[in-house]
Amino acid sequence: MEINFLLFQLLNGLTEGMILFIVASGLSLVFGVLRVINFAHGSLYMIGAYLAFSLSTRFPQFTLGPYLLLMILVPAGIAAIGLLLEVTLFRRIYGKEHLLQLLLTYALVLVLDDLVRLVWGGDIRNVPRPPSLAGSVEFLSLSFPTYNIFILLLGPAIALGLWWLLYRTHAGNLIRAAVTYPEMLGALGTNVTWVMTGTFVLGCVLAGIGGVLMSALANIDLGIAMEKIIDCFAVVVIGGLGSVWGVLLSSLIIGVGKSYLSLILVRLAMVFPFFVMALVLVIRPWGLFGKPER
Amino acid sequence: MKKVVFILLVLFFAWGTIASAPVFGQDKIKLGFIADMPGIGATFYKSQKEAIEMFIEETNAKGGILGKKLELVIRDSQLKPDVGSNVARELILNEKCDFLIGPTSSAVALAVTKVAQEFKKIIFFHTSNTEKLTTTDFHPYMFQVVPNTGIEGGGIALYLSKKPYKRYTFIGPDYAYGQTQWASFKEDLKRLKPDVEILDAVWVKVGETNYSSYIPTLMARNPEVIYSSLWGGGLSSFIKQALPYGLFKKATITSLFDLDMLRATGMDMPEGLLGYARCPFYAINTPEMKAFTKRFYDKYKEWPSDWAIMVYDGLLVLQEAIKKTQSLDSEKIAKALDGLKWNSLRGPRYIRAEDHMANVGIYVGITTKDPRFKDFLIMKNVEEVPAEKVWMSVEELKKVRQQAK
Repeated sequence: MEINFLLFQLLNGLTEGMILFIVASGLSLVFGVLRVINFAHGSLYMIGAYLAFSLSTRFPQFTLGPYLLLMILVPAGIAAIGLLLEVTLFRRIYGKEHLLQLLLTYALVLVLDDLVRLVWGGDIRNVPRPPSLAGSVEFLSLSFPTYNIFILLLGPAIALGLWWLLYRTHAGNLIRAAVTYPEMLGALGTNVTWVMTGTFVLGCVLAGIGGVLMSALANIDLGIAMEKIIDCFAVVVIGGLGSVWGVLLSSLIIGVGKSYLSLILVRLAMVFPFFVMALVLVIRPWGLFGKPER
Repeated sequence: MKKVVFILLVLFFAWGTIASAPVFGQDKIKLGFIADMPGIGATFYKSQKEAIEMFIEETNAKGGILGKKLELVIRDSQLKPDVGSNVARELILNEKCDFLIGPTSSAVALAVTKVAQEFKKIIFFHTSNTEKLTTTDFHPYMFQVVPNTGIEGGGIALYLSKKPYKRYTFIGPDYAYGQTQWASFKEDLKRLKPDVEILDAVWVKVGETNYSSYIPTLMARNPEVIYSSLWGGGLSSFIKQALPYGLFKKATITSLFDLDMLRATGMDMPEGLLGYARCPFYAINTPEMKAFTKRFYDKYKEWPSDWAIMVYDGLLVLQEAIKKTQSLDSEKIAKALDGLKWNSLRGPRYIRAEDHMANVGIYVGITTKDPRFKDFLIMKNVEEVPAEKVWMSVEELKKVRQQAK
């Protein structure tokens, strides 16, 4: 096989990995602070993708401007849904046993998926790429889709932004404090409840961004929620809790690994995330970048 | 008094006879359309219904068939075989339909054709094209006016064998239908042109929406022709996703380029791809097709899809058979269908006696922009591969039916 195609596949893998990172970082954040595995995170991502589809049809000329507008409107919409869910449901299950949490978030998956089916039907949809991102970039006598390159640039930017938010701002300090010493944080006069709500909403924003990106990368249908949440779950376990870079690295490993394995055998690509997850759990149960639980 | 009662009785009796007369000689012909309405069936259904309604309107304006007006009853089969056979029964038993019009999905068609056989009702298929309908599951009360899978696969293989293409690969979902399609295509091609190079196929996960990681694999095979079982929306989005990778600079993807798919892909469709269609209005130059296209466009302000044309053609066959037999009787019509010649929108055609398959071929061409159509591409240099050149021979047909027993 020529080196060209390996390069192509690397690009594809990294693109997939970046989207995975954006969605999974939201899951990781929620998991880290609230200690809830939100299975409905994938459904929120799917709603984001469908919302992007619906909004995109409202513009007579779908150019870069409207597309970037979607990148603001859709995450805002998902954030609003997230806020509603947190205040009405999630707030009640923090600190409860895992089975109870699982029951709620899994039930939400079913409810949200059916809601999507009701609103948008079962048809395959996609969002057109804006003309300035629809073409390709010629490099080494190969064509790389501009849209993939856009995602490859956006991913690290979001990672950097997230890191900056968590480690360089007051809000980030509060979130990190809520992970380790929630009682102390409360005793110091911070409204921990709202820190948690804020974190949950931030997670939803990331799911929404991922949804918009995916809607113009490939087709969207009712299956994308489950597909993504499974990969996200693996990524969070592999990367380790609370580490932006851990999630980024493990997303890229999964993305690139799946991409190369699909060259050999599609079925191998499907089990790859679980294989890596199992391996990490055996060797470093706290994940690549995580810290052992005290 | 006795006289009055007697007269009343006579009148009553006579009135009764008159009132019940339509049971024997209805003044209308009821057509029952088993339609796959939801999901991926929606676009098909829309244009099929439009064409049927147009046919009925036109025919009734001319006084109907045998002086009887046509009437349409539609039931949704939901792309589900069991629902299909239920609504077919309902159309026959409750609605007392005289003739049935088949669905879009082949799976539903196979269920429905059994019901038609059971009740000896004439039914025709215009969009669903599994070869089974006219081979293993054949019965004399059905006919088929869409090129079936055998004609389609054999037709494209024959066409390609005459072109200089050497290197062939395949992409499609990893399930039985695609595998059979690729296997029989390979076999046909190898037989027609022994020096072709058949490359490994690329199997896509069933339900896959993101094709990007398969595209480099395809390119690594370095094919000239990518044959595919992708169609409609799936094919359209594959083309959109593959375009920026430059896949179509060196290779063509060859699959069903029906009008709905061309419209869905819009101006993203690259020029120069080699594909085929079952019934493209823009490439068939008969006066009938031109007149039909104009009437259709004037009425609905859109171009007739392949499905619309074929369902209309099926109704023309039915009309011809009714006129020929001067009856609505299934047995007589089934007999009349054997070798029936009719003036199709595609030109003069006939129904083969042995399997009630119309001699309808496929149309192969190269995608191109056309000033007449602003929103989508059509195919140019379109050639028809006649059905007679590729359809299953009568001996083969007998063998297949024998084996199925």
